[in-house]
Amino acid sequence: MKPLNLIALLLFIVGTAWVLTRSESSVRSIQKTYYSAISPFLKGGSSIEQKASAFIAEVNHSKEWETRYNLAKEELDEKRVEVAHLRKLETENARLRQALKFQQRAAFKVLAAKIIRRQPSTWWHTVTIDRGEKQGVGVQLPVLSPEGLVGKVDAPSANTSTVILLTDESCQVSAKVDGTPEVGILSGQRGLTGENPSLKLRFLSKEAKIKPGMLVFTTGRGGLFPADILLGSIKSFEPGPLYGEALVTPAVDFTALHTVFVKIPDSKESSASPTKP
Amino acid sequence: MIKYTISVILLTLAACMVQQFLPAIGGLYGARVLILALVFLCAAVSVDFATMLLLAFICGFLWDAQNALGPPGGNPDIYTDPVEPLRFGYSIVLYAMMGLIMQGIQPLFKKGKWHISSLLAGISIFLYLFSEYLLINFWRGDFVFPQTVFYRIYLTSALTMLFSPLIFWLIFQLASSCHHTIRYEGLRKKPRYID
Repeated sequence: MKPLNLIALLLFIVGTAWVLTRSESSVRSIQKTYYSAISPFLKGGSSIEQKASAFIAEVNHSKEWETRYNLAKEELDEKRVEVAHLRKLETENARLRQALKFQQRAAFKVLAAKIIRRQPSTWWHTVTIDRGEKQGVGVQLPVLSPEGLVGKVDAPSANTSTVILLTDESCQVSAKVDGTPEVGILSGQRGLTGENPSLKLRFLSKEAKIKPGMLVFTTGRGGLFPADILLGSIKSFEPGPLYGEALVTPAVDFTALHTVFVKIPDSKESSASPTKP
Repeated sequence: MIKYTISVILLTLAACMVQQFLPAIGGLYGARVLILALVFLCAAVSVDFATMLLLAFICGFLWDAQNALGPPGGNPDIYTDPVEPLRFGYSIVLYAMMGLIMQGIQPLFKKGKWHISSLLAGISIFLYLFSEYLLINFWRGDFVFPQTVFYRIYLTSALTMLFSPLIFWLIFQLASSCHHTIRYEGLRKKPRYID
């Protein structure tokens, strides 16, 4: 081996060992710096993506009307395009109203956030939202939608945050089956893909009387998620030798998510937590 | 040489940015084009060993900075069986392994057989994803290998490999603009007569 290559190899080994032995706080600060650096690109890219899809939709729309354009008068066509644009605004308005309604009726303080990037990694189910520490988003905060629990904040940076979805194996939630005393741990399943993969509810009693269609809610235990947030409904139940396991269909349609809500700790919660023994 | 090395590093950083906007394709089992890995592989075959290691370090570091998950959190009395995240930096090792595979066929690449490098880039990505998934299983316990995982690995490798001629073309353009010669002996005419 050439001396230069040997030195390079040694430097590489030292560098890799240094990276592998970083503490959790150092890793967080590296990630924060990285996301702060790329957040302008992410936000810019997201808006370009939105404009592009709006443009494509507009082009498709124009094509639909093209045949009629030859027959109808020019003025009438202009009006129709206007109506189409207004309809788009109406749909957006309805979505925002729904979001606002959720924000108003939520029993806790929530912060609306827009999803700007979906599943950037190969194996983890995550999304990136356009709210970060500057807006009060912190690590491990629950993320909700009007339909139910979406996940939790994994890595917040200054202006964006990574949210780990409920469909990921590492997002565990203490859950209860409505109408039964059954309590278990709900999480996603490793390696599963698809539009909305089923969740697995483990550690149920093997004699549990669980039927398909029963609703699953958060218990509020474990210090991560508030109680009584809808998680999904039972798909099937399988009693095992020690514990029973159930497959749960998530309440949230993860593919149709655009706006989510981060539960921000109340001033009472945040002031009370450090004084806890 | 230094100009070319800097250009390749810049190309890698650009690929890292482009990667942000390449989504997973739901209809193809969540497969995606791994442009960062592809640029690294194509560059790895055209540079020397030391530069390859530097690129592997940069790519692995950036990939983990982007994707590494934090600790599970929550009350350990309730969450008794937490899913541990992989260590930050493991991708550097995986990238270096892919780079070593590519360096192995460098003589063929320099003889002009870039299509073999192209094919090997696909194989390397398959091995990279497969070993990454095995590592997840090893780290978290409970070996699970659903068929969808195989499809995702296979389709990601195949999709990514399709773009390799474009990346090789880009790398050759970079080399020529930096007046760097990747010894491309394949186009050299052999003497017809023996003097």
